[in-house]
Amino acid sequence: MLTNKEVLSTLEMLKNEHLDVRTITLGISLLDCASDEPARFIEKASSKIGAVARNLVKVCDEVSVRYGIPIVNKRIAVSPIAVAACSCGPAQMVEVARALDRAAKGVGIDFIGGFSALVEKGFTSGDLALIEAIPEALAETEHVCSSINVASTRAGINMDAVYLMGKTIRKAAELTKDRDGIGCAKLCVFANIPEDIPFMAGAFLGVGEPDTVINVGVSGPGVVKKALDRAREANPGLDLGQISEIIKHTAFKVTKVGELIGRRVADGLGVPFGVVDLSLAPTPNVGDSVGEIFQSLGLGSIGVPGTTAALALINDAVKKGGAFASSYVGGLSGAFIPVSEDLNIAESARRGFLSLEKLEAMTSVCSVGLDMVALAGDTSAETLAAIIADEMAIGVINKKTTAARLIPVPGKKAGDKAQFGGLLGEATIIPVSGTDCSAGFISLGGRIPAPIHSLNN
Amino acid sequence: MSKVIVSVVGHDRPGIIAAVSRVLFLNGCNIEDVSQSILQTEFAGVFIASLPKSLSARELSRRLCEELDPMGLSVLLRQMESTGVWEPPPSEPFVITTMGPDRPGLVAGITELLAGFGVNISNLKAVFRGGDDPHENTMIYEVDIPVAVDQNSFREALYKRGGELDLDVSLQHREIFEAIHRV
Repeated sequence: MLTNKEVLSTLEMLKNEHLDVRTITLGISLLDCASDEPARFIEKASSKIGAVARNLVKVCDEVSVRYGIPIVNKRIAVSPIAVAACSCGPAQMVEVARALDRAAKGVGIDFIGGFSALVEKGFTSGDLALIEAIPEALAETEHVCSSINVASTRAGINMDAVYLMGKTIRKAAELTKDRDGIGCAKLCVFANIPEDIPFMAGAFLGVGEPDTVINVGVSGPGVVKKALDRAREANPGLDLGQISEIIKHTAFKVTKVGELIGRRVADGLGVPFGVVDLSLAPTPNVGDSVGEIFQSLGLGSIGVPGTTAALALINDAVKKGGAFASSYVGGLSGAFIPVSEDLNIAESARRGFLSLEKLEAMTSVCSVGLDMVALAGDTSAETLAAIIADEMAIGVINKKTTAARLIPVPGKKAGDKAQFGGLLGEATIIPVSGTDCSAGFISLGGRIPAPIHSLNN
Repeated sequence: MSKVIVSVVGHDRPGIIAAVSRVLFLNGCNIEDVSQSILQTEFAGVFIASLPKSLSARELSRRLCEELDPMGLSVLLRQMESTGVWEPPPSEPFVITTMGPDRPGLVAGITELLAGFGVNISNLKAVFRGGDDPHENTMIYEVDIPVAVDQNSFREALYKRGGELDLDVSLQHREIFEAIHRV
């Protein structure tokens, strides 16, 4: 027998608080498709994806209907293409991207991640070929996402890679200048990238992962916000410790949804279950915002003094609640602060409450990084690289994942709006203090060594 | 030993179960199972009791009425037969909720559909809060849907009936409620 509260509160979360499973991501290893002939690799990879993912959308829809929980996105993550297709040259890498795009369309999903490379210690020929192919690949495909790991706590920061990515981002923006540089919205640069992120654009299937796996990304910032509002209305005297408990309990509930749904989809596909990524991931829909949670905590807007402390509380409470709810937790697992995908965060940036410097500070306590940050179109490759380098340093020194998804919007400047559409939303371009002052440092190149505390054997 | 099922209905207040169980005890009966509900001002209780050989069901019924009628309680007693018992087919537990403005025919309309598909209701609760907000009126049906029933047809028919009754209907497997709220 269920209690009234159990039934009614579940319905409330579904109908009015945007409770959903944000993504079910099917990981497919392409390492067994490796060939020294690019055309052969493409043929085998396309065939494997088509076969393994044939029923992904159907099974997700069935499970979604059975439990009444929307599964918003169905996605695929493949082995890092720089590894799986390492014998390809740049032009052939673009062909691989096109094949991945076709494969994604063929199975009816919206994004396929894994056009990726891991270069924290140095480059292979496959890595360089892939990176060179990125701007064209992302301009010519709709569904392909790319992530490049340029740093890790164990290896340090590959500054040559950082500089190269600065240049790559500029090229990617240039090739999609008619769409506000949307190519860059599908490209993330990482430090300490997890091998099982279900979210885009970072998703890829790490080398240590099984041949196929289901990873789940939950969400629910709206559920957290409503839970906080209700609790504070019922008891205005709640302190931050008690508020942390509420977020923890809510994160537990949201994560349990992901765990159940993920396991049922995995069973339905005959694929092992991997992890739940218990991230609070917002969308541009009203009431589905991480930024609003800050207001529920008594801050005028996300970005004002107190934001970093509040975010630290939220991120930690989410992890604690979620960790109890799931047998295997992975991916990014925390709070996302994407500047364009969250209506409230976008508005705060527009009103000047959320500077690049504040965002950078916040990334030291949250689980993602500088996400969907729109910059002036004339931002130099050196400045982009320097912004990325700062973000990588935060991740490397603090033994956490950080990332940068920067979009220099061609032809626009600070204060202008960039429109990416759909889930990617729209963003106001944020100013950078001190442009064209970093070239000397960036051009030094080399690798910033791993920090001493990585020597923990 | 024969078994009987006794139902007792009347205004709720302390002492009802005490009165019933006292009669059963004094007459050598053993209560094997009991359940109760309180709806608005009214109590309803159901007891399964085993009777000693020396006591007939008719006599027990007479003694219960003698004790409980003056208290304003109605008693119905039936022999529990082991024949003619319905055997549930393999089923899965689902939860149906309906939300909408209250009017006659809502329960009849939904339950007629459930019966037509061979769906059994294991628990039913009404959450009527009155007022102008139709969302305040919710019915929660915990049901067992036989695995042989085609889910899509059932769902379609249920939503259609909901539409006819101006109800917002949901149908979800019970697991999701347990997953969210129980450790």
